[in-house]
Amino acid sequence: MIGDERNMSEAPPTELATETPHQAEGSIVPVPALAAEHLSRGVVGKILVDNISVQVQRGEVLAVVGPSGSGKSSFLRLLNRLDEPTGGTVRLNGQDYRELAPQELRRRVGMVMQAAYLFPGTVAGNVAFGPRQCGVKLSAEQIATLLQRVGLSGYPDHDVSHLSGGEAQRVSLARTLANAPETLLLDEPTSALDESSARGIEDLVLGIIRERRMTCVIVTHNIAQARRVADRTMILEAGKLVAVGPTHEVLGDG
Amino acid sequence: MAELLNSLHGDVVMGLGQAAVAIVLCFAVVFLCRWFAVHVERETALSLARGLVQMVAVGIVLALLLHGSLLIGALILLGMTFAAAVTASRRAPDIQGALILSFYAIGAGAGVVLAVMLVTRAVTPTIAVLVPVGSMIIANAMNACAQSMERFRSDVTAHVGQIEAGLALGAEPAVAVAPFVQSAVYASLLPRLDMLKSLGLVWIPGVMAGMLVSGASPVYAGIFQFIIVAMILAASGIAGLVTTVLMRARAFSSAAQLTLRPGIKN
Repeated sequence: MIGDERNMSEAPPTELATETPHQAEGSIVPVPALAAEHLSRGVVGKILVDNISVQVQRGEVLAVVGPSGSGKSSFLRLLNRLDEPTGGTVRLNGQDYRELAPQELRRRVGMVMQAAYLFPGTVAGNVAFGPRQCGVKLSAEQIATLLQRVGLSGYPDHDVSHLSGGEAQRVSLARTLANAPETLLLDEPTSALDESSARGIEDLVLGIIRERRMTCVIVTHNIAQARRVADRTMILEAGKLVAVGPTHEVLGDG
Repeated sequence: MAELLNSLHGDVVMGLGQAAVAIVLCFAVVFLCRWFAVHVERETALSLARGLVQMVAVGIVLALLLHGSLLIGALILLGMTFAAAVTASRRAPDIQGALILSFYAIGAGAGVVLAVMLVTRAVTPTIAVLVPVGSMIIANAMNACAQSMERFRSDVTAHVGQIEAGLALGAEPAVAVAPFVQSAVYASLLPRLDMLKSLGLVWIPGVMAGMLVSGASPVYAGIFQFIIVAMILAASGIAGLVTTVLMRARAFSSAAQLTLRPGIKN
């Protein structure tokens, strides 16, 4: 994170978004790629996400950790507006995301879920799905390139029902990357996989994020994984942000 | 009124005698069930008594109404459509506005088909034809509405992950649920398609049987029955489509978020 890091002992630990680039102590502070501003969501008397403000800069990886039921996934689902905030908003490069059509927003903020949820049919059909929604038809070469990048060369005609869990998650990643998103949301993408497949996916995702200089928010219950992949980490408890900062400061060096 | 009184004196006495035979047969089956420790005596007795009273009452009302104008017939069908909508909406108690949705769907299915058939004179525009034919069409449109509503809801709530994966990739809600719209409409049509296929081979439906009993030409009775079943198919198709399209609209928020989820009142 470029900009001020708050002392984790301060409460509540929030970061307010910067709407436009401005001078701060002689240096230009860039507009955050993604900024949650007082983001909240409650359902029938229960608060899932409670007034969270946090910024993520372009190319940065932010891990969201916390116990089960702390609101990690609920927070992530607000970032691409799969759920509607009951308070606050999210800004993409300074623009309020409610000004964007949901379809455009979700193409720009891609998401890989805990389970792959592939559509019935072939691997190529799944990869081509996103671009087709905005009238773009991927060529066979483009699909092959995407599949090669996720380690699935030669898979375009495979039926998705015959894939292993790790392969399915790679297809899910390729399918999301096909939209060329600026920001990638990862909701425990390796939690359903064995250790070997999980590390493979983790390395792959990290490589792609660095190579494309994507912004990434990853929800994980695996502290070791957060230490390995995240530049910064935020801790949620009961929907509240209790700490945010550089991963080694928030989680220690392990 | 004179016809009604004549019926009461002649046919009704004979009919009640025939009903008594049918009731005895039912009780024979009840005693057979008792042999296997299945006790349905009280329920059967109540159902038989209720059924007989209801049908006699309907007969009396129809005997009075069937001499009325087409407007009275239209009002009767409107009342039947509302009753059908109430029944269909009970299949989806967790869907807000299920009653009005069902009313629109059944009304559209039965209304369009009846209007076309009346305008083209494929059905005689008299109350004596309109009410019984209309009731059959409304009843089938009701079943199609309930079946498509139930199928769409169960498919969507069972595939929340897949639908949200589509939305997360930038798909319009209509695209994300397209496979479930198709399966819901198909599920509502399938029983009617089977009915059409088996027409005359497996069963001779009520209208044809009634016409034959009353001395109509068997060939004309068969053709008329086909017309009725074809109308039922068309009305069911429209009702299933309207139900599913309205359900689809209610399944998402204005920001393309899936709101039809397990355990959440929609």
